[in-house]
Amino acid sequence: MGFSATEADDLSQEVFVTFLETLDRFEGRSSVSTWLFGILHHKVQERRRVVVRDQRADPIDEIFEASFDAHGSWTKPPIAADRLAASRQVSAALAECLDGLPDQQRAVFHFREVEGLSTAEVGELVGCTTNHVGVLFHRARTRLRGCLEGKGWGASR
Amino acid sequence: MKSCKDVSYQLSTGDLAHTSLVERIGVWLHLAMCRNCRAFSRQLGAMARAARGAASATEAEPRESFEREIVERLRQR
Repeated sequence: MGFSATEADDLSQEVFVTFLETLDRFEGRSSVSTWLFGILHHKVQERRRVVVRDQRADPIDEIFEASFDAHGSWTKPPIAADRLAASRQVSAALAECLDGLPDQQRAVFHFREVEGLSTAEVGELVGCTTNHVGVLFHRARTRLRGCLEGKGWGASR
Repeated sequence: MKSCKDVSYQLSTGDLAHTSLVERIGVWLHLAMCRNCRAFSRQLGAMARAARGAASATEAEPRESFEREIVERLRQR
């Protein structure tokens, strides 16, 4: 999530302290991991003093639009990712690319892809509608594809 | 007939499961005929695998003193 090891350690302690302090409010309507991730997300936002905004426009949308012609066909066709390429090297490149994502997009991508949470669960965690979770997930993936392509992954024909 | 732009956007938002059957059939038909969108779909899958790989590479057991430090913080409040 873009923190140093010391900061990450401090944050994770804060998460468990808050979890134990608010345990009586946990009604079991979501899983413990969802509750913990919720606390983590709020702590990260607190720390970064990020004001959560329902960002309507994002320059990445124009990059996505530019990938298609007027009929909606690819102008720069993607190349199928080689299964073997999804190795340690790609993971390392992806980890670097993740650091360049806006906080909310990185959180949505992580919750959806790594933790396997549903759109509704992620919406609850980051405080936005399920539709907007989809938009943020799409923007995160578009940015990551661009970043990975810049590193030579799935280079276009 | 859906365009590549429509299909890639729907795949990218990760919300296909929550759309109508007609919508899903439209996407499946397009994917069956369009190798570019199939490649795009595989790229999304590869990114997901890479993300899980990156996450598991950084997973670690907490330090030995981690629990003690949490208890100490709780005491200080």
